[in-house]
Amino acid sequence: MHIDYHDLIWAIINFVVLLAILYKFLYGPLLKMMENRQNDIKSNISQAEEIRNEAETLRVQLTAELDKARKEAQEIIASATKIGEETKNSIITEAKNSAVKMTEKAQEEIQREKEQALADIRNEVASLAILAAGKVLGKAMTGEEHKKLVDKYIQEVGGIQ
Amino acid sequence: MEHGTSVLFSIFGLRVSSYVTTMWGLMAVILLISYFATRNLKKVPGGAQNVMEYVIQVLIDFFEGIMGEKRAKQYLPILCTFFLLILLSNYSGILPMAGHLPGLAAPTSTISVTAGFAIVVFFCTHFFGIKEKGFGYFKHFLQPVAFLLPLMIIEELVRPLSLSLRLYGNIFGEEMVTAQLFQMAPFLVPLVMQALGLLMGLVQAFVFTLLTAVYLGGATADHH
Repeated sequence: MHIDYHDLIWAIINFVVLLAILYKFLYGPLLKMMENRQNDIKSNISQAEEIRNEAETLRVQLTAELDKARKEAQEIIASATKIGEETKNSIITEAKNSAVKMTEKAQEEIQREKEQALADIRNEVASLAILAAGKVLGKAMTGEEHKKLVDKYIQEVGGIQ
Repeated sequence: MEHGTSVLFSIFGLRVSSYVTTMWGLMAVILLISYFATRNLKKVPGGAQNVMEYVIQVLIDFFEGIMGEKRAKQYLPILCTFFLLILLSNYSGILPMAGHLPGLAAPTSTISVTAGFAIVVFFCTHFFGIKEKGFGYFKHFLQPVAFLLPLMIIEELVRPLSLSLRLYGNIFGEEMVTAQLFQMAPFLVPLVMQALGLLMGLVQAFVFTLLTAVYLGGATADHH
């Protein structure tokens, strides 16, 4: 085993030359490309993450809006139901009131008719009484005096009733 | 094994042996693969680019555990070049007629080449240590206690020695065993050793690169 200095120097030269060429044509471009790709992938991933977050935010927002809309719809239905109920009640109340009024009016009418009828009957009775009395007395009674007498009689008859 | 040491020709007074020509061939292979891997770089990789990216990513992940992500990426070119060159050098010894054909001999089966690699590691370690931490780098030789300085210096000097001897010894030894077995029983028996050589070549390339990463990480680490 002896060291041949020519071989040794050639080994160093060869290594340095190979390193220089490879540095320029292999490692430089390849490492740069690999780094670029890494950065690309990184940015793509972060972009995807961003989009995903945006979608998530949107989803939450839409869900909230949907809930709100649902609640509003329920409120509308509830208020409509309430209004309907109130209207129904007021109509019923009104109908009852008017029925009561009508009944009262009808009763008043009946009362009035009844009184009228009674008055008519009284007048008729008076006339008949006068007629009958006239026949009995044989002389017709006339004038104011006559009427007063009859009225007095009728008053008395009414008082008895 | 004799052909590896024989001189084929010389350039600028530097003699070129079969180890050197083999290294050139391996460098050409690495450059060719790199060319195909980066010829048409795409964000979505395929084919050779995919394979090369996989190799680099595995190495980065591995070195991250030793020296942190930033340094793993920073020193990846040195570590990856060592790994590829040593791995292919080790495997070139498994090729038929390696060491017997002029111009073909596993470069890592000679101490001269592995010593060259270890010297590169030695200078890189201290160069980047000083570059990252300035002259404060030399303080760590005085820690934990100053009187250990001679021991620390010996440790630094032993590192390249152990790096080069370990790699050379393993590959050279493996080749010798294979060659001896081949002479004793040419059929099937050497195959077992060659299969083992595939595993050993990978392990030794890995060990060399791993230790380089440990030395670089230690020299440039933030603490002390």
